[in-house]
Amino acid sequence: MFVTEWNSSALVKAATKTGKKKNALTPMTFSLLHATDFADRLLYKIIPPLKAGMIVLADRYAYTAFARDATRGVDRQWVRELYSFAVKPDMTLYFRVPIDVSLDRLMARRVKLKFYEAGMDLGWSTNPVESFRLFQGKVLDEYDRLVDEYGLDVVDAVGSITEQQRAVRALIAKHLATVSPIAEVPSEQPA
Amino acid sequence: MSNLPEPPGGVLEGSENGIQPGRYYGRGIPYLPIDGYPGKLIAVEGTDGVGRSTQIQLLREWLEVKGYGVIETGWTRSPLMQPTIELAKSSNTLNKLTFVLLYATDFADRLEKEIIPALKAGFVVLTDRYMFTALARAGVRGVDRAWLRNLYGFAIAPHLVFYLKVDVDTLIGRVLEARGMDFWESGMDLKTGDDIYDSFRAYQNKLLREYASMGDEFHFRVVDARRSVVQIQDELRRQVSAFLEPSATS
Repeated sequence: MFVTEWNSSALVKAATKTGKKKNALTPMTFSLLHATDFADRLLYKIIPPLKAGMIVLADRYAYTAFARDATRGVDRQWVRELYSFAVKPDMTLYFRVPIDVSLDRLMARRVKLKFYEAGMDLGWSTNPVESFRLFQGKVLDEYDRLVDEYGLDVVDAVGSITEQQRAVRALIAKHLATVSPIAEVPSEQPA
Repeated sequence: MSNLPEPPGGVLEGSENGIQPGRYYGRGIPYLPIDGYPGKLIAVEGTDGVGRSTQIQLLREWLEVKGYGVIETGWTRSPLMQPTIELAKSSNTLNKLTFVLLYATDFADRLEKEIIPALKAGFVVLTDRYMFTALARAGVRGVDRAWLRNLYGFAIAPHLVFYLKVDVDTLIGRVLEARGMDFWESGMDLKTGDDIYDSFRAYQNKLLREYASMGDEFHFRVVDARRSVVQIQDELRRQVSAFLEPSATS
C-alpha cells in the first residue's frame, strides 16, 4: 500500500511556496501549478505502485482541483480536460461536512486560516473567517456537482472518527470484494 | 451566426476553427474578459538561431519612434516560474508532461500579468516565442495534440504571428557560431543517441516539421529567415505597418 498527499512534489514546491508567500498566484497559475505537482506525483508516485498491483491511497485527488479551481473562476470544462491525463480512481470517498463544522474544526486546531485556503485571493471579504465561509461554501457546492458527475462515495464526516472509519471500511470492503480476490483468499494456499 | 453565404474562396482550413485575433483560442479565462481591448499582440516564432531577439529589438525601436507604446515578453521569463524551470532543466528529472505544465504555468503568469494588462492599456505587445513553441516541443515528444490545444485554450490569438523559418543546415551553422549546442536544444532527453550533433539535427528537423504543420491552423506569416537581418526586418516592418496603419500604406 502507498499513501500520497496533495501538493507534495519536490519539483513544484519551490514555485508554489514563492507564489503563496507573495500572494502572487492567480486562479490560473494556482490551477496549473497544482496540475504540475499532480502530474509529477502521478508519474513517479502513483502509477508505479499501481503497476506493481498495490493499493494507492491518495489524500485528495483531481476532484479537489475541479472544486477549488471552478470556485476561483477557472472554466470547469477546461480543468476537467487539463486533468484528463490522470488515472481515474477505482473508488473515491468524499468526506462531506457542513461549512460550520469544518470551520469549527479548523479554528480549534489553528490560530490562523491560510490565505488561499480561505479564498482571500478572491477579495470577497477582508475577514478571513467570513472569506473562508464564502469560499469553502462554494467549494462544497462544486463537490456536490462532482458527486453525481463522477459517482463519488459520500461519507458523512460530521460523526466521530470511529463512525466514519466504520463507514469507510464498509465501503472499501464492499468494493474490494467485487473487484479483487485479495480480500477473500489470504489463507488459501495453492497446492 | 448569420445566414450570409460564405465569401468566395470558401472555408479555409485555418478559419473553420474560428480563430479570432485578440480573443481567446478556446475556453479562455472566464474571470478576465478581454473583448474590445485596444492593444495588439504580435508573436515572433521560430526555432533557435533565427534571430528572433534581434528582430524584436529592431521592431521595438521602430515602433517606439512611430509613437507606439511597446512591451516585450519572452519564453520562461516569469518571475514566478523561471527559477523552477531552470532547476528542472538542470536536474534533468523532468518528464514531458511536467515540462509542458511548467511552461504553461509560466505562460499563464505572463499572459495575466504582462500581456493582458498591456493589451488593455493599448500597447503593442511583442512576444519572443509564443505557445507554438510549447506545442512544437511537446508535439515532438509525443504529447497528445488535442490535450495540448485544450490546455492552451486560455491563450490569446495574436493579431500577427511571424514564423521565422530556416532550414536545418542554416540553423546548425548559426547555433554553432553563436554558442554551441546544448542538451535541451539538441533534444538529448529524447535519448535518440549519444552524438550531440546527430541528435541536434534530428531534433531540430522534427521541430521544423511541427512548426510547418501548425502554419495553416494558426495563420502563420512565414518569413524566410535565411536572409540578412536588414532584409528580414524590412519585411516585418512592411507587414506590421500594413496591419497597424492600413490606410497609410494603401
